[in-house]
Amino acid sequence: MEITGEFIAFFILSILAICGAVFMIFFTNVVHMGVSMAFTFLSIAGIYFLLNADFLAVIQIMVYTGAISILMLFGIMMTRHKETEEKLNRPIHYGLSIAGAGVLLVSLVLLSRGATFVSDAVDTKGYGIEKIGELFFGTYMIPFELASILLLVALIGSIIIAKKEGQE
Amino acid sequence: MDLFFYLGPIILMLLLLGFVTYAILFERKVIGWIQNRPGPNQVGPWGLFQTIADVAKLLLKEDIVPGKADRALFKLAPIIAFVPAFAILAVIPFTESWQFGDFAVGLLYYIAISSITIIGILTGAWASNNKYSLLGGMRSAAQMISYEIPLVLSVVGIVMTTGSLDLNDIVLAQKKVWFIVPQFLAFLIFLIASLAELNRTPFDLPEAESELVAGYHVEYTGFRFAFFMLAEYVYVFAMASLTTCLFLGGWLPLFGLTMIPGILWFLLKFSLVVFSLFWIRATMPRLRVDQLMQFAWKVLLPLSLLNIFLTAIFKEIPVLSSFY
Amino acid sequence: MELEASFLTIAWFIALGILLPVVALTVGKWLRPNKPSSRKAITYESGVDPTGEGWVQFHVRYYLFALLFVIFDVETIFLYPWAVAYDSLRATLGIWVLYEMLIFIGLLVLGLAYAWKKKVLKWE
Repeated sequence: MEITGEFIAFFILSILAICGAVFMIFFTNVVHMGVSMAFTFLSIAGIYFLLNADFLAVIQIMVYTGAISILMLFGIMMTRHKETEEKLNRPIHYGLSIAGAGVLLVSLVLLSRGATFVSDAVDTKGYGIEKIGELFFGTYMIPFELASILLLVALIGSIIIAKKEGQE
Repeated sequence: MDLFFYLGPIILMLLLLGFVTYAILFERKVIGWIQNRPGPNQVGPWGLFQTIADVAKLLLKEDIVPGKADRALFKLAPIIAFVPAFAILAVIPFTESWQFGDFAVGLLYYIAISSITIIGILTGAWASNNKYSLLGGMRSAAQMISYEIPLVLSVVGIVMTTGSLDLNDIVLAQKKVWFIVPQFLAFLIFLIASLAELNRTPFDLPEAESELVAGYHVEYTGFRFAFFMLAEYVYVFAMASLTTCLFLGGWLPLFGLTMIPGILWFLLKFSLVVFSLFWIRATMPRLRVDQLMQFAWKVLLPLSLLNIFLTAIFKEIPVLSSFY
Repeated sequence: MELEASFLTIAWFIALGILLPVVALTVGKWLRPNKPSSRKAITYESGVDPTGEGWVQFHVRYYLFALLFVIFDVETIFLYPWAVAYDSLRATLGIWVLYEMLIFIGLLVLGLAYAWKKKVLKWE
């Protein structure tokens, strides 16, 4: 295997992403968890950027790091956030989670062995934001309009739930 | 890899530190002048060394971490807030040749990266374990997210006209007429929203001295505090540069005066924007919290959506369409 | 495949952005005094002894604004590809491309109006 700049960058970014995820699981303080999650989101955006998917990387930062993380932090501030979570000792849960993760890993490995990958380097230059726009509003127009209904339902639903909670 | 690649950003950083030093002095002088008082005038001639003395003082101050604070996050937060402020400058085209990266999605990159600072502010506010700082941090975050939407939407009209997110293309598209003319509504929305994003008067509620002590950085001392302030002024620099590129034609000359180099044109327009930011600060009173949040959602957001459709409609009108 | 120049530029900017605070704070550590005392470590509350808890609980309205923000952030992301491709779409699809976006935004404005009516946008 040849060690290129791209490989090194990918290596660093994936290590950062994995570290963020692992810290997220092992921290006991909810705010620490939120920040490490934001860090994972950011590293994944870096990987997208590395793959020349600039628009996707920017969206990843805007939505996940900039919005979802803030939403999480606001949610934490709304609840009691001074206590640290106790480590629960539930062996059945641990066993089930490990088994589930194992099954996922095995199936991913099997799937990726069966799949055929495009081995040639694809020129990603032609797949910019303009192409995305043309596809969205031409070929995939119906799913796009459905997305707006989904967003509307999410908006109204969350308002109803939050208003109900607020009154109690 | 050429020398400019490595040295350019370092030079930019040094210039930036110089800019921040003198922007603070300039701000105090402008406000002093508007309020009919001399402003800083003791340290050096015309107060020229005032900010340098202030920075030196901050450097020599003890770094106090409150006993109840979350030490790790408390120390990390200023860095989280500062790094994106500097990283966004990578996309600003200062002149035709003086720019660092030619990004296809430059405009969105700027918006995306700058939203990370909110996390830095929020974690700093939370880690201090202080009521005032947490209240200031939450207010700041709520304000910044609310005004980010109109800020982002106001630029869509420009993107429709240029058909590109590359700031370079956006500047070059203004050869005929600057976007401040056809996109005047967008300019107003952008200006108001950027003031709110910068947490500057009349939107300085997060730091309202009279009610919140000092906002999210109450517990910060010495150089950690300095980095929060630095991030704030780097954003002034970045936002003024972005406004120049989006609405004032970047480095393009006015009246065909091409013998004046592009960088001077850029600096001239840039200084004008910075001056207006200080001018507004000295003139306007602070908004109330309830007015502030409603204004973003009830006035600016519908207006910015309207601007998008106005742009689309103007594109259909025969004579006007050449400007859109 | 070599790294994109733009990727390296951003990486270099981020590295410099981290370097400056780290260097400045380290240099500061050598220069500044360090005499901690228990009085100094007390939480600052305008000079009086702090009362109650610093980590206070916030009202649900902050969370609602964050929710609105997430939804409209996603909306703007749909708007950008549309705006970039507007001219070419206008040429191929005609004025229909404008109606498409009108429907999309109209639905979200409906949501905004609902939030307005339910007094979510009001800050008491």
